[in-house]
Amino acid sequence: MAHQAHAYHMVDPSPWPLTGAVGALLMTSGLAIWFHFHSMTLMTLGLILLLLTMYQWWRDIIREGTFQGHHTPPVQKGLRYGMILFITSEVFFFLGFFWAFYHSSLAPTPELGGCWPPTGITTLDPFEVPLLNTAVLLASGVTVTWAHHSIMEGERKQTIQSLALTIILGLYFTALQAMEYYEAPFTIADGVYGSTFFVATGFHGLHVIIGSTFLAVCFLRQIQYHFTSEHHFGFEAAAWYWHFVDVVWLFLYVSIYWWGS
Amino acid sequence: MAMSPTAMVARRALAAASQGSHEGGARTWKILSFVLALPGVSVCMANVYMKMQAHSHENPEFVPYPHLRIRTKPWPWGDGNHSLFHNSHTNALPTGYEDSHH
Repeated sequence: MAHQAHAYHMVDPSPWPLTGAVGALLMTSGLAIWFHFHSMTLMTLGLILLLLTMYQWWRDIIREGTFQGHHTPPVQKGLRYGMILFITSEVFFFLGFFWAFYHSSLAPTPELGGCWPPTGITTLDPFEVPLLNTAVLLASGVTVTWAHHSIMEGERKQTIQSLALTIILGLYFTALQAMEYYEAPFTIADGVYGSTFFVATGFHGLHVIIGSTFLAVCFLRQIQYHFTSEHHFGFEAAAWYWHFVDVVWLFLYVSIYWWGS
Repeated sequence: MAMSPTAMVARRALAAASQGSHEGGARTWKILSFVLALPGVSVCMANVYMKMQAHSHENPEFVPYPHLRIRTKPWPWGDGNHSLFHNSHTNALPTGYEDSHH
């Protein structure tokens, strides 16, 4: 049996990067087909392929790290850099939508009535559900930190409790936002106000769902004894992502809900 | 920027609790969760409930502003004239509210 003379991970050949790329292609072109020719087939196919790719690729990474021991300290360091760079790219993604919001709201055009919020727009009260949403996400930041310390101290039951609480808070946020979307007196078609509001908060909501899913996967892994008190990077990555989601919300709340009302 | 005394105390406590090796970090965050975070959520929930009660359920009168309810291209679902989260009670169509509206 051959042994490697270094601590790095030379990954086995894998089909998932290709299936992921094909899935992304089918989803995007499928979206265009749906818009223009009213068929959802290509888009649905792309979505299924993407979901299958994510499941199998991440399953393989868990196998390589947790069960086969390939995630040595230098490998883990690389994964940390990777997650940090990814989150940084997401920060820039949201920066664009904040740019759009401030571009339109700092100098409202005459077509809107020369004011912000535009004439005819009834904004949401920032001190009702949006404030509750802020409290929910901040609370989930506290509970996820409780979870992290519990993992580091080898407290299995507390880890499970705090992680469950964090996920429940995440789901509560999503439910509240969905209700707000339905009850809002304005829609995405209500000029640039509607566009900036729903695109920025919509992408944020998508990231909450992604983050909650990531945490839920960590929850299942914790139940199955994947994490040790010294080595639990999957959880740390999920927690970083969750804090990022929380911070984006704080900026959304202050800019769009509060200042923009 | 000066911090309030409370904020200073909180900052010191949180810094101590964040030390990974320091025993009891988990206990500190557990306490914070049940004493600060979750009660904070409950207070906000109560606030929402009370504000909902105080609301009147009136919608503003419909004015066919050209900068709102834009329909450059129909949506790819339904009749193409209703947004994804359309609520006939609170969202008017370009021609006005759908239901007879109180």
